[in-house]
Amino acid sequence: MSESGVSVRALRKSFRSFRRRQEVLQGIDLDVAPGEVVGLIGPNGAGKTTLMSCLLGFLHPDSGDITIDGRANDDLGVRRRTGFVPERMNFDRGATGWNFLRYMARLAGVPGGEVDARCRAMLERLGLTPAADKRLSQYSRGMLQRIGMCQALIHEPAFVFLDEPTSGLDPNGVLLVRDLITEQKQRGAAVLLNSHQLAEVEKVCDRVVFLHRGVIQHAETLRHTDRIIVAVTLLPGSFDVATVERITGVAAQENVVIVTVETQEAIAALVRDLVAGNVGIVDVRRHTADLESIFRGAA
Amino acid sequence: MSGVVIAETFRRHVTNIGFIAYLALLAILSLGVSVFNRPASVWPTLVTLLALITGSGAIGPEFSSGTLQLILVKPLTRASYLLSRVTGIVLAVWLAAAVCAVFELTGRALWSEGVPFLPIGAGLLNIMADTILAISLLALLGSITRAYFNVAIYVGVMATLWVTEVAVGFIRQSSSALGRLLANRKSVDLVLSAIDRNLFPEVLPAFDPKWLVLVLSNAAVALLLACLAFRGREVPYGAD
Repeated sequence: MSESGVSVRALRKSFRSFRRRQEVLQGIDLDVAPGEVVGLIGPNGAGKTTLMSCLLGFLHPDSGDITIDGRANDDLGVRRRTGFVPERMNFDRGATGWNFLRYMARLAGVPGGEVDARCRAMLERLGLTPAADKRLSQYSRGMLQRIGMCQALIHEPAFVFLDEPTSGLDPNGVLLVRDLITEQKQRGAAVLLNSHQLAEVEKVCDRVVFLHRGVIQHAETLRHTDRIIVAVTLLPGSFDVATVERITGVAAQENVVIVTVETQEAIAALVRDLVAGNVGIVDVRRHTADLESIFRGAA
Repeated sequence: MSGVVIAETFRRHVTNIGFIAYLALLAILSLGVSVFNRPASVWPTLVTLLALITGSGAIGPEFSSGTLQLILVKPLTRASYLLSRVTGIVLAVWLAAAVCAVFELTGRALWSEGVPFLPIGAGLLNIMADTILAISLLALLGSITRAYFNVAIYVGVMATLWVTEVAVGFIRQSSSALGRLLANRKSVDLVLSAIDRNLFPEVLPAFDPKWLVLVLSNAAVALLLACLAFRGREVPYGAD
């Protein structure tokens, strides 16, 4: 699997049209470690697609460094371990799903003897087996997104770049993509997810980077590896503020108390102590940053 | 080069319904006209036309359709992809040329007294070389433009050369100052004909090694320039 993930340093990119020069990326620093899912969010025109294009070698940066696993991003060894899902799947629409996927698998370097088995498995996993012999022109937008995921993951890449992978998908498709992203993370892949779906980003990403006008304006860790932040909502009128503060170590804000613990077991122990202290509990959930507030505040 | 890309490009062309229909037309024509014309005199022009049609899609339209992005993240260099695409297209066109030659030979075997293997073989060899050049030039133009501008430029240059040559001839015959000036300037003709001969060589009816070397070396230069242009070109993703 990947050794050093994706690294971007002082990346700048500008576009020229006639005499105007527009600097779209203004010194981006970004890291995506192996086994980490990083979300890229930001308003339209923030530079997310340009950043993704530079990372994948579609665009040439003005300055700065991009390394993937310590090598240049156009290194063939790196490409062999890279998967990419574009926002819109554009390909020869006359090809059948099966032929398209076989072609992509062979190009990605899947060994000849494994191509058919892997194609079948991916189509089955993404629920496209019944549509395998249909032409891509007959696929819906959601089906194209699914086959896009198939071609990106068929060679079990170590570096996965996803551009709006859930756009056009039904709720089942969204859940499927969420599971696939989690699987990539568990495999140890470094995943960069560009999405406008803040709820999705919140659910799957370990870290989120907010890009605005070509600069990273905010970076937030959603899931810490060494601690868990829990929000416990208390039943109004059922608790004594001092008791809650004694048990949890922090003061409740209105009816919510946000506690940092180290393990899952500590959450159970905390709940037990609160219940033993006659504190009514309405809800217990992992606490993550409010991406909507970040988005609104920074945009 | 990538065998996978060559095979896929070839497969995509030869399974295209338009290609199959054109191939059937070529076969019938080659069979039918074999009695009435010089050997290998009709179908080479139609094969060149096929090379222009198929070659126009070599790389240019992939920039605008957004299909390149899926390919460029795969482990093959841009030059390798471009050369493989060109090879796949050339092979598809050669298949058409071979079908024409076989059908003409069959027609002559059926209806004529002798079968002119050598002239038809020479015609086949020459058209094969000519199609490499045409497709290479289209790949070069496609690597610096988008959509089907490559074939528009190709045909535009060809037409401009022809119009210029005719115009120079007319002006020369006139008694104007420009006519008198051009009358003594044979270098104008030399330049025009050199461009014409190098870019759009007339397919010879007989075997000529010098002509083959000229055509193939020009194709090699065009492919080299195409690879260089494609390597440096940015590919913004999404459609244009």
